[in-house]
Amino acid sequence: MVNARPRVGLFVTCLADLIRPRTAFAALTLLRRAGCEVEAPPRQTCCGQPAYNSGDRGDAAKLAQNVIKAFEAYDYVVAPSGSCMGMIKLHYPVLFADDPAWLRRAEALAAKGYELTSFLVDVLGFRPQGIALAARATYHDSCSGLRELGVQRQPRALLAEVAGLTLTPLPDGEACCGFGGTFCVKYPAISNAIVDEKAERIEATKADILLGGDLGCLMNMAGKLHRRGSRIRVFHVAEILAGMGDGPAIGEEP
Amino acid sequence: MPAPTDDAIVDTFKTRASAALADANLKLAIDRTTRTARAKREAAVAAWPGFPEARDLGRRIKDHVIENLDHYLLEFERNAQSSGAIVHYAASAGEACEIVLRICREAGAKTITRSKSMLGEEIGLPHALDAAGFTRVETDLAEHIVQLSNDRPSHIIWPALHHTRENIAALFRTHHHTPQNSDDIIGMVASARRQLRPGFLGADVGISGANFLIADSGAICTVTNEGNAELTTTIPRVHIVTAGIEKLVPSLTHAFILLRLLVRSATGADITQYTTFHCGPKRAGDRDGPEAFHIVLVDNGRTRMLTEGLGEMLRCLRCGACMNHCVVYNEIGGHAYGGVYPGPMGAVLTPVLDGLEKSRELPHACTLNGRCQEVCPVAIPLPAMLRGWRDKSWAQGLEPRTQRGMMGLWAFAAAHPSLYRLGTRLAIRAIRLLAKGGWIDKLPLAEGWTRHRDFPKPAAQSFFEQYQATRRKQD
Amino acid sequence: MNARADMLAAIRRALPGERNPRTIGAAAEALARESIESRPQIPGADLTEAFAARLVSDRVVGASIDRVNRLEDAPGAVRRYCRIHSLDPVLALQPDPELQRLDWGAFEIRPPTGGDETLAVARARWAIAETGTLVFHSGPESPTLLSFLTLHHVCIIESSRILAHLEDYADAEKGAPVPRNVNLITGASGTADIEGALVRGAHGPAFVHAIIVGALGQTP
Repeated sequence: MVNARPRVGLFVTCLADLIRPRTAFAALTLLRRAGCEVEAPPRQTCCGQPAYNSGDRGDAAKLAQNVIKAFEAYDYVVAPSGSCMGMIKLHYPVLFADDPAWLRRAEALAAKGYELTSFLVDVLGFRPQGIALAARATYHDSCSGLRELGVQRQPRALLAEVAGLTLTPLPDGEACCGFGGTFCVKYPAISNAIVDEKAERIEATKADILLGGDLGCLMNMAGKLHRRGSRIRVFHVAEILAGMGDGPAIGEEP
Repeated sequence: MPAPTDDAIVDTFKTRASAALADANLKLAIDRTTRTARAKREAAVAAWPGFPEARDLGRRIKDHVIENLDHYLLEFERNAQSSGAIVHYAASAGEACEIVLRICREAGAKTITRSKSMLGEEIGLPHALDAAGFTRVETDLAEHIVQLSNDRPSHIIWPALHHTRENIAALFRTHHHTPQNSDDIIGMVASARRQLRPGFLGADVGISGANFLIADSGAICTVTNEGNAELTTTIPRVHIVTAGIEKLVPSLTHAFILLRLLVRSATGADITQYTTFHCGPKRAGDRDGPEAFHIVLVDNGRTRMLTEGLGEMLRCLRCGACMNHCVVYNEIGGHAYGGVYPGPMGAVLTPVLDGLEKSRELPHACTLNGRCQEVCPVAIPLPAMLRGWRDKSWAQGLEPRTQRGMMGLWAFAAAHPSLYRLGTRLAIRAIRLLAKGGWIDKLPLAEGWTRHRDFPKPAAQSFFEQYQATRRKQD
Repeated sequence: MNARADMLAAIRRALPGERNPRTIGAAAEALARESIESRPQIPGADLTEAFAARLVSDRVVGASIDRVNRLEDAPGAVRRYCRIHSLDPVLALQPDPELQRLDWGAFEIRPPTGGDETLAVARARWAIAETGTLVFHSGPESPTLLSFLTLHHVCIIESSRILAHLEDYADAEKGAPVPRNVNLITGASGTADIEGALVRGAHGPAFVHAIIVGALGQTP
């Protein structure tokens, strides 16, 4: 049972903040439409995942403490990203396993942390109203969201409400796109081989647009598709659901 | 300890990976094998509604054994000895080879047949046998091919997947007594059958691995599809088993439970054509069987894994599902990993076997997507273990200096929000200058990205610039 | 010696605590029993039908079946098999007294492990319906190599000895002395090592033929 007007702290994610703010604005819009009081606390920066995945536990813990402090007063923390929210929900408690005080705070935050589509569907029972976009779309399930948080059904349930949008399945959809955070710049040739195959499968769907829930993956695939000369346009699912599908796709920033 | 430069270690793995990426034939071979394996596994799992439950049970059985490893080791030893087996212990790969060589010498062996054993590869047994002057006959078809071509296995279930039919045909024409006429695969298999039969019949010693060590009977289990394990281990007067101590299971029933998971995960079949339990040497009245039966129990880092947070890796059934589903393995193949074991399980094990310094690339060359853990029949938390290696690598200062520097900078900035906002605002302005239209095709400092794909031009103002401006307007 | 002591010491250091054999045994047994819930189901109640169906399904490579009423009819079934495969009536016969006393007059019988025969005929000890498996124990009346050297392997199995699941074999043999070799044979030998193409008869037999004795058209 959700209280009237839950107080939500939006975890913006650094990629949304620095590269594609409209994703975060779309999240704000959706959360407000779903009846939340939502704000983005300004002291947030990064969830610490790059440090954590590089083995730098020390820095990861510092950044995690900042995030916990910035968000623990809210009823919920919501992010338009499976990988950042996976970090908060699953890995913050691991980071503080040996620190009982911080562990408690990390677990408390983890318990009220949600990826955006999962929050809208599983917690609020929200569906977008009056959104239309005549297009053929295909959807990429980002690995963290899919495997760490079980996000798969929820974006599809939300997109089903968008009038005129048809969803065509992406073959081998559960295969990683090759982004992997710092992996794509540490092992560029291997990452390229992976995303090249992914792009081929995306193009073969003949979809007009590619959607997904994580900007890292989306930028990786969009950048590859564009380099290949593909005309498919790429959006974050939040943007479509918020009615911003008529705006610039990734790589169309004015 | 000073961090090694970027070039020293990186090139070895990266050079191998690059070579693999450039090899179109290898890619065809990898895809052919792993696509079939994935599809067959999926079908087998779909046909068995109880699979998730059985998988959980398998994990708990393995954990139970690992938690009581010494108990089961001693029980196995007792029962194996009662059955007439001679049990040996080897702490290291070298020790294991020495024991095997000694047994072979004492048996006056000249010809030695081997059935497929990844543990044998792990301890370097093929090379040790060759160096000691024995005639080594590999009887598993893929290992036979690998022996003829003098290279190494590239997958733990299909070691010769990297060979095309054409080059196998050429190998057989060169090395077989009565080779096939054409590149027809049926003909080639028949040629191998003819070629290896005398080897089987004339062997003095047969060496196998073991998929399971049955504690309550002292029996060992081999699983194959060719029948070569039985010919290898029945005909010679001595049978030597080399097995890692993690292969222990309490009883036959437990072996069956794990077998169901193993075979479906490896090939999608419900059981291998030949599942054989070997218990002791030839008995009075037996018509065939070896006179002497030796079991070499190998540690080679396994007990260390217990203390270093890698105990769950001892659950591994050596099914190969992880590598079949790994997007990295599927691009670079097995040889690029540079060790005995490739793919995700190889990335966890190789630092144990070869040391982290030499193999630190492997745990890093991974997107941490988690598919491996998902398909692992005993739910090994592979990504967590790879992260564990990354932690150790960082703590030991093995990361290239530039990487540590960049990470430190990012972390420092991110820990100071005002500095972060200022720094990122400037960075965005700078990056935007590089854009042509909506895209950037060359990003200094992230050249790895733009070498292969375009980078989207960032928005003119960051989220927080816009958000805070809006909030200030409201106040 | 040292390696053994070192290994045990290392294990105990890593996993300190008492090992109570009774508790450990009970835990292991409890785990084993759990498989009953989740293991694959046998379609239908008739184990003979299930085994027969399984053997000729695409889950088992290179196997065929025949059915006879009595063991005495087995040689006739083997003659049928030879005709189908155009085999000379020459076979290596398992030294099982039950088999040896049958009427093999139409055949030339060779010793069990000469190594050159095309056809071996043997009686399996058990069969398992779940997987389509035939079980052989090594012994004075059953050389291991008989199952592996010939191109064709004919296995006679009484329908009363067809078990449901793999675990049932373990249960059926509980307490009995363990033979040197237990062979669980499921279909013909095969390999997919060359370009993934499945080929039969890699080293072991290319053909497995099960002659099921009894329970023709009846439920056991």
